[in-house]
Amino acid sequence: MRSTLALLALTFALPAAAQGFDPIAEVLLHPRCANCHVGDDGIPLWSTDAGGTRPHGFHVQGGESRMGIETVPCSACHTERNGTLPGSAPGAEGWALPPVEMQWAARTPAQICEQLKDPERNGGRTIAEVADHVSHDPLVLWGWDPGPGREPAPGTPEETVAAILAWADAGAPCP
Amino acid sequence: MRLTVDGTEHELDVEPDMPLLWLLRDELGLHGPKYGCGIAACGACTVHLDGLAVRACQITAEEVEGAEVTTIEGLGTPDAPHPVQQAWIEEQVAQCGYCQSGQIMQAASLLALNPAPTDAEIDAAMSGNLCRCASYPRIRAAIRRAIQSEGA
Repeated sequence: MRSTLALLALTFALPAAAQGFDPIAEVLLHPRCANCHVGDDGIPLWSTDAGGTRPHGFHVQGGESRMGIETVPCSACHTERNGTLPGSAPGAEGWALPPVEMQWAARTPAQICEQLKDPERNGGRTIAEVADHVSHDPLVLWGWDPGPGREPAPGTPEETVAAILAWADAGAPCP
Repeated sequence: MRLTVDGTEHELDVEPDMPLLWLLRDELGLHGPKYGCGIAACGACTVHLDGLAVRACQITAEEVEGAEVTTIEGLGTPDAPHPVQQAWIEEQVAQCGYCQSGQIMQAASLLALNPAPTDAEIDAAMSGNLCRCASYPRIRAAIRRAIQSEGA
């Protein structure tokens, strides 16, 4: 009886979990994503060996341009592909900070969930277009192929796209 | 592959993944750009790629196919130095001098993009170029002098 109840609970719990925002938040708040989705100070973050973050070295500032034009353009060090040596600069096409309205760092899953649905703060996209962005944008895809010495974002781009679409189908509920 | 360095076109037979710094120093004999760290963490190898500062240790030969590269050797001449080079001489910036070609190339790139940077912007722009002699006050002074000489 107990095992039957457990099975029933699991059967009903799984779809709910798949439709929720948690698996998406796990990706968006991962350092490979959140370290560049920073606020209006425009300072990218680096992950530390201790598991935390610190400001990007070399006093790097994205500035209003979000790509360092006012000081050092990101492209001074970041090319269109990852450096091959541990500690060397990662790279992808279009390397830059996302627009400031897309700040995720230091925000909660609930806040990011509302942002992701808001065209004013998601680049003017529908949720389907957000999913498409995840599957096609070279800089987003970099999060799963971040070069030597960096932990990739959880899962795969395809799993994240599926999670976003399932969440949208469920009415895009926020935590 | 073809590329133009300091105004001269070159045709080279090199491995596509050869770092630009190797290409400049070992293939073309241009020893102004220096090897420091190899991971874009010191700025000693800074050159201009199509007019903007890049770390030559991070760029591969295949990425500069058809591009225009400028090294410290091509930034100015003894008779007509770049304003940043002139300011460097007047401020007597260099101590050991190992970092200075990278420092000058970075500063020249900054002023090309931002002719009147604030002091904070100068500090931010130059923070990726390390100087083991700690000549930073003279580096800042030379950049301010170059800005003044250009009337910005």
